[in-house]
Amino acid sequence: MRRLFIYCMVGVFLWPAAAVQALVTDLSNTRIEIRYSFDGAQLILFGAVGSSTVNPVTSEYDIVIVVRGPNAPAVVRRKDNVGGIWINNENLVFPAVPGYYAVAATRPLEEIANSGVYATYGIGFHNLPLITKSARGLIVPDPVFKEALFRLRSGEGLYRQEQDTVTKLAEGLFRTDIHLPASVPVGAFDVETFLFQKGSLKSRHRIKMNVDKEGFERTAYDFAHGYPFFYGLTAVFVAIGAGWLAGVLGKK
Amino acid sequence: MSLYLPIAELSMNIFLVIGMGAIVGFLSGMFGVGGGFLMTPLLIFAGVPPAVAVATESNEITAASVSGALAHWRRQGIDVKMGGVLIAGGAVGSFFGAQVFTYLRSLGQVDLMISLAYVLFLGLVGGLMFWESVRAILRQRRGYVPPKLSREERHKAWIHALPFKMRFRKSRLYISALLPLIIGMFVGVLAAIMGVGGGFVMVPAMIYILGMPTNVVIGTSLFQIIFVTALTTIFHSVNTQTVDIFMAVLLLFGAVVGAQFGARIGLKMQGEQLRALLALMVLLVCIKMGVNLVVEPKELYSVSDVVISGGAH
Repeated sequence: MRRLFIYCMVGVFLWPAAAVQALVTDLSNTRIEIRYSFDGAQLILFGAVGSSTVNPVTSEYDIVIVVRGPNAPAVVRRKDNVGGIWINNENLVFPAVPGYYAVAATRPLEEIANSGVYATYGIGFHNLPLITKSARGLIVPDPVFKEALFRLRSGEGLYRQEQDTVTKLAEGLFRTDIHLPASVPVGAFDVETFLFQKGSLKSRHRIKMNVDKEGFERTAYDFAHGYPFFYGLTAVFVAIGAGWLAGVLGKK
Repeated sequence: MSLYLPIAELSMNIFLVIGMGAIVGFLSGMFGVGGGFLMTPLLIFAGVPPAVAVATESNEITAASVSGALAHWRRQGIDVKMGGVLIAGGAVGSFFGAQVFTYLRSLGQVDLMISLAYVLFLGLVGGLMFWESVRAILRQRRGYVPPKLSREERHKAWIHALPFKMRFRKSRLYISALLPLIIGMFVGVLAAIMGVGGGFVMVPAMIYILGMPTNVVIGTSLFQIIFVTALTTIFHSVNTQTVDIFMAVLLLFGAVVGAQFGARIGLKMQGEQLRALLALMVLLVCIKMGVNLVVEPKELYSVSDVVISGGAH
């Protein structure tokens, strides 16, 4: 399967029509299904760099791949010692932060381009324009809280930066692995590939990917959230039935 | 083998979940207690979000109480009328408990409330039980027999002065309905915020405050727990969508198997020793919860989704 995939990519690369576009990528799977056995997923991203008359790829190139999950509000809380016990005290609400964010590159980011370039294109967690809501309205977040958000989500495997490398397979052909943890959020993902040469962006290519709960898991989730009263009632009847069964079996 | 739990939104090892159910089931079978006050902390220690642990455990307790109450029903050990009054109080208490739970969850303080409630109640109940059983063991060694108090003597005068008197035939009582109503309400609040059945409060209250005969105490307590935890399950489902049926069923499966073995071991042990052991365990959980509150955590920050009550998101 994977070999066939490589052959296809090589085919795309060698096909004359492909030369019109400088950068093509594809994923091993663009639809991730969360089922009962879901324990995270590994995806393979393949890409090919072709020459075009506009942007000829003649010399060394670098690839930076950014995978970004759906935005959702998140709240970061800090515990403080209040009267001897550690309780959640200050908090900061981020109205829209990516639920998943990964950056992979052929080399350490600082070797590929200078930080100003990444800031321009919003590459890297620290270049994400995050604003926060507070009692005083929308503000630029306290860097301590933004740092905590990055650290905590990195710990869960939801934010991955400077951890994965993009491997060059052959002239103009590259691949990388995308690691999705079990707690990955559902929704639409953007996988954007940036082609750098001599410290400046030459081309970019974006593909979409979707993570969704499927089958029974989807049904259960929708039921619990869409009809919470009936879900609760079902839970009670399941419990009564199971308890009755256990009582009858236990007697024998 | 890990299993993705769609409501809790986390992936857990299926054998870990069943195993936790089995351990608590074993202990509850051995000691003859409900086990909610052990199960919920255990789930929290295993990494389940406290709100999910509390709500899901309510669901499991309903099941466990049904099978327990069934046995007492066969022995006619349930005062249905008394149970009904306790349930009426419990419904109100559980509703308010769930409301407070939802409100504190939106403030990010629900974990704190759960921990504090556990430290307080486990400390109190464990301490009292430990003291009682140690005293009983010491007295037994010295050969001291405490003078038996009759039921009437134990019953305080102020209890009979309360209005709205009601006759409870099965319990051979004629007392104010306010008492079981208030006790039920209090236990209902505990059920909603701690994920317990509340037997550890209900049973002593029935014996020492209401003065019910011991042969109907356990059955009636289990009977009311079924309804109060069922209501709690529904309230939590509606308010916070934190009830995970799958986790509850797995826990129950483990608990049913564990309880069979626990009950056999429990029969071989002496009552006082058993109670002292249970008290120690209760205190241990209490201390662990307490330590987590006072020791500076390694990570001061936490991140969570912004809670939107009700509806889909």
